[in-house]
Amino acid sequence: MDPLLSFVRGQMLEVAIAVFCFGVLWRLVGVTLLRHVRSLSPARYGRVRAVVEGSFVAGTRSWPHKAFIRRTGYGEALGYGYHLALFIVILLFAPHITFLKSLIGLSWPALPSSLINIIAVLTLALLIAVLVRRISKPVTRMLSNFDDYFSWLLVTATVVTGLMATAHLGAPYHQLLAWHILSVDALLIWFPFGKLMHAFYIFPSRVINGYTLARKGGAA
Amino acid sequence: MNLSEIPIRVEPNLAEEGLGGGVKALLHEVLTMLERLVSTGTEGAVDLRSLPMTPDDWQGLYAALGEGGVDAVFESNGRSRVRETAVPGVWWIEHRDADDNVVASFLEVTTVPPLLTTDLVDVRAGIPRLRAMLTQAGAQAPFHGGQYDG
Amino acid sequence: MADSDSTQTVGEALRAQGISRRDFLKFCTVTASLMAMPPLAGRAMAKQLASMKRSSVIYVSFQECTGCLESLTRSFSPTVENLIFNVISLDYDDTLMAAAGEAAENAREAAMQKNWGKYVLIVDGAVPTGDGGVYHTAAGKSAEQILAHVAKGAAAVVSIGTCASFGGLPIAAPNPTGAVPVSDLVTDKPVVNISGCPPIPAVVTGTLVHYYTQGRLPDLDSYGRPLAFYGNNIHDRCYRRPFYDKGQFAKTFDDEGARNGWCLWELGCKGPVTYNACATLKWNQGTSFPIQSGHPCLGCAEPGFWDGGSFYAPLATGKWGRAGETRPRDMAFVAGAPAGIGAVVGVGAAGWARMRRKHLEDKPREEED
Repeated sequence: MDPLLSFVRGQMLEVAIAVFCFGVLWRLVGVTLLRHVRSLSPARYGRVRAVVEGSFVAGTRSWPHKAFIRRTGYGEALGYGYHLALFIVILLFAPHITFLKSLIGLSWPALPSSLINIIAVLTLALLIAVLVRRISKPVTRMLSNFDDYFSWLLVTATVVTGLMATAHLGAPYHQLLAWHILSVDALLIWFPFGKLMHAFYIFPSRVINGYTLARKGGAA
Repeated sequence: MNLSEIPIRVEPNLAEEGLGGGVKALLHEVLTMLERLVSTGTEGAVDLRSLPMTPDDWQGLYAALGEGGVDAVFESNGRSRVRETAVPGVWWIEHRDADDNVVASFLEVTTVPPLLTTDLVDVRAGIPRLRAMLTQAGAQAPFHGGQYDG
Repeated sequence: MADSDSTQTVGEALRAQGISRRDFLKFCTVTASLMAMPPLAGRAMAKQLASMKRSSVIYVSFQECTGCLESLTRSFSPTVENLIFNVISLDYDDTLMAAAGEAAENAREAAMQKNWGKYVLIVDGAVPTGDGGVYHTAAGKSAEQILAHVAKGAAAVVSIGTCASFGGLPIAAPNPTGAVPVSDLVTDKPVVNISGCPPIPAVVTGTLVHYYTQGRLPDLDSYGRPLAFYGNNIHDRCYRRPFYDKGQFAKTFDDEGARNGWCLWELGCKGPVTYNACATLKWNQGTSFPIQSGHPCLGCAEPGFWDGGSFYAPLATGKWGRAGETRPRDMAFVAGAPAGIGAVVGVGAAGWARMRRKHLEDKPREEED
């Protein structure tokens, strides 16, 4: 057993999962318990209706309004594209399902590995397109910081090493597998400390926004 | 379930006139070796086990080369077979081990494969034995036990 | 065991045992084919080996189970591999030789002296170095001392088996005897590692024959193993690969998938990370190999395979956990506890943030400029 492979699926993976769980709970609980600014005007709708209306709005606001599609549609499509493709690859590839089963005890049917390969290549293409867009547009370039680029790097490294491992390309398989698992470990460790936390924040955040607006009567 | 019952489907070669692409390339190589044998006397050989051959390829090769007149078999830790194919100078050599598994398979392009010749060392070793047999039988007594005796 | 007669060539020794040149030519042809040498190499090999004097080989054993020697010598019918014992003169092997005690040691010294600089040293078993090397002693010397002594006049060293090549079982955690591989101790001679638990006999034979005909060891990989046999991993040569590619896996040892001969990856097969010739050469003259018999590959030709996690944990899983493989119940410690601590820290962080906010709000207005 290659020493690196042994390490990355051994101690390092343990540490990565522990740091991930610690970090995510720390930030989620920490943010949730922050003081909310109380709204001083009377509520327009009851709480339950506000939650429902708010969630609905959160959904409809997840795609640009007609007026803005021409300017932002491409970026939105790219983003949704690589997210969807990435989730398919992560959740519906047989070896990944085996890994998750060892952690949570549940498993589900996989997609054919050849199809996953194609989707993974698509994911990589979309990730590169997203980076090109971020760098070429002056506004996004100005707004981007280390967090953005580093998060992108770790995700892309995971996809690239995964593709190389499946193709047995460039190095002996056990080395490629080790680098892939190392990328995953690094991603898990970095996850709670940067913008990747949007994965946990985004849905509560949008629903809360929608709820707040609905209470004020602003939901439409 | 034994190995041969496991349902792995082997994709057949897309072949023109029944010859797979791999077999065709191999036969071209053999042709070159035959021409070289005639012009310079240089022998050639192909290790068939080093090539990726499907069962269809083996069949195709066997059908293409055919069988010639010489078919020799000898036992040495398993059976070995030296056969001239229908193409003169192309010999098919197959070595098996004591459990009858094929351990090596060659095509040799030569006038006669060394496996069919007898090394002088072995000849020298056999002479005393024959001499002893003759001495035992006596000079006058007729010699029995020849291969073609009735 | 045959004596080493310094005047007899290999060919003469063969002839004396009734083995003809034709038999020997077959052996060399088959061996050359196994080693992926050029198709006419067998002839040159036969000619060269037949005319050389039988080479002296000294075989020493340390922390081993004798499985490697059994693999090499035990067979129910004479095999091609056994012919190697006509090419070499096995001048010392404490398991096989009839002599014992001082007589055996003297025979070894005599063979070493007579063939100084030319004999091949074969070693099986790991070498314990802990506590002064006391965990393996013979004739009053530790294994370390014996190895250092016997290796002095060797032309090349062959480590047979994973124990000699990489430490094998003795080096597995916690390595109580301080076991090390042979290559850690012999650094001034060419060393080839023929790993495997045990190694395939034809691999040993082929490597020795290559050494004698070419005058050097064959091309080696980064672990010192002959590339001709260890260049491909089991996964790439496995006959069950089509099932892996289609995603058809056996989930238990007796389910329908197992009965249909499906891929054993989910049962812990280490084929993808193991390099050996098992899938092509197989064992017992090509009869079978673990996967064909329905058991996942253990990875026995690789360093540290005993410490690589459970033999039955798939490669895609972690190798931590109390069972040597990750299971959901291990998540209580690795995920649950850190999550709990994280939640507590989160409460603390929120509390601190609230306190700070209140402090800022309570400050008199004038001081906020």
